[in-house]
Amino acid sequence: MNTAAIRSNRRKLLILAALALICAAGYLLVNTDPANARLFAYSMKIRAPKLAAMAVTAVSIGGASIVFQSVINNTIVTPCLLGMNALYTLIHTAVVFFLGSASVVATNANLAFGVDVVLMGIAATVLYSWIFRMTRHNVLYVLLVGTVLTSFFGSIQTTLTRVMDPNEYDSLLSTLVASFSNINSEILLFAVLLLAGVAFALRRELALLDVLTLGKDQAINLGVDYDRCIRRLLLGVALCIAVATAMVGPISFLGLIIANLSRQLLRTYRHTQLIAGSALFGMAVLVGGQLIVEHVYSYAVPVSVFITVGGGLYFLYLLLARKKV
Amino acid sequence: MNIQGLTKRYQGRTVVDGVSFSIPKGKVTSLIGPNGAGKSTVMSMISRLIAQDEGLVELDGTHIGHWKSRELARRLAILTQSNNIQMKLTVRELVAFGRFPYSGSRITAEDAEIIDRAIAYMELEEFQDRFLDELSGGQRQRALIAMVIAQDTEYILLDEPTNNLDIYHATNLMKTVRRLCDELGKTVILVLHEINYAAFYSDYICAFKDGGIAKFGPVHEVITKENLSAIYGVEFEVQTVKGRPLSIYY
Repeated sequence: MNTAAIRSNRRKLLILAALALICAAGYLLVNTDPANARLFAYSMKIRAPKLAAMAVTAVSIGGASIVFQSVINNTIVTPCLLGMNALYTLIHTAVVFFLGSASVVATNANLAFGVDVVLMGIAATVLYSWIFRMTRHNVLYVLLVGTVLTSFFGSIQTTLTRVMDPNEYDSLLSTLVASFSNINSEILLFAVLLLAGVAFALRRELALLDVLTLGKDQAINLGVDYDRCIRRLLLGVALCIAVATAMVGPISFLGLIIANLSRQLLRTYRHTQLIAGSALFGMAVLVGGQLIVEHVYSYAVPVSVFITVGGGLYFLYLLLARKKV
Repeated sequence: MNIQGLTKRYQGRTVVDGVSFSIPKGKVTSLIGPNGAGKSTVMSMISRLIAQDEGLVELDGTHIGHWKSRELARRLAILTQSNNIQMKLTVRELVAFGRFPYSGSRITAEDAEIIDRAIAYMELEEFQDRFLDELSGGQRQRALIAMVIAQDTEYILLDEPTNNLDIYHATNLMKTVRRLCDELGKTVILVLHEINYAAFYSDYICAFKDGGIAKFGPVHEVITKENLSAIYGVEFEVQTVKGRPLSIYY
């Protein structure tokens, strides 16, 4: 096959990986003094879990966005734009609302996350595969329904928090507004295991992604069990979004940026490369951004603000650039 | 291929009603008829792209619903009109997808040979490293046909393949269809709007009207003045040119 293109893409991915590594090393080591062992250990204790959480987020959002785009066959749609993280926030709130913040489910972070993930997996798979079927994969309708759903979930969630006991709300808030400065690192191990499990369970479907991008008819023609494959991939996407939202809270434009940067850079249909590129871009953007936020702006501006502003502009650019073609 | 009592309803409206016929092996069969007569729906059902509400489609004695999807993909290939491929894909990469039912994403040396042959068959050698979105409609259509050839199936189903092609490319495509049947022994089933292409390049014609079969048989039996006038509801003249019935409508 086109070996030259594959090799040049490998080189690009290596450079990206190096960039992500430099960002990671910078994040860990800037403003530390390895000579002072105790202080150094203290910084590591704070920085290492954050770095790990950012890596997990980059992989889950990067992977989920590419997969989702290929499933719907459109590159300007991401799971977050269609309200998947709003759905997760709603589920998380509803669990605390109905079970109370003192229940075992709410006090044990891992158990709470487990319950959220199961509910999210079921709700999102049923809901989104239904939307896809009802709109016959028409991207415009899907986007419209998704946008409405985003505010719908948001409204229910706000209503729940309004009628909630203030004490309950207080305990909910600390997990609800997870951000890069307040990372939910208790569930880190669980999240990593979950991601690995998803990738393993979906290894066959992931191999089919290349074919799925030829469109539904072609995929069926080439022997793909289409509906089942889409359902399973959607489940995987929902779980990835659940992981990312639980760890660092909703960041809507990150997926759009990194998935499209990866597609623009690599210009290929090979999903192993696209997903790797997207995850590495995610690492670079998140870790590099956080590095700047912490040391240049000394926490004055959260990294999600940069991502939202940059992402918004990039989204406009993508829309306008596509129109010309 | 045996089709029995095929029926499809959309929201209570029956669009295909109890269609039964047998598609002769190793021949070119064209499905013709007015818009909304159900020919494309029948095509989609016999290629398992949409599910039928009633009836059977048997391929080598087994209902297509009982075939393993991947096994079936080695026996039957379909090319529909809806091919908006969003990916950055070169012609050769597209044709290589035809080998997916056999080798997955790993292309073997044998696959590469078959891909080469398919590309040569459609005379696409000079375009093989070009991206699909840089090609003209006719070239893209040829690339898709090359992919179907690489899929190397006994049955080839083409849904309105001459749509959006000019006379030169459409005629060449029909000649290719003929060659696929005569040289490679394929069974080709087409949905066509152009009655004369159907009459000149097929062996059998199946004419649809109102969700059912109006006439089915060898070209000469179906393409007659009376039949066509009854099916399309306009006046027809049929003349014989080069031993084939040429129809003129006005």
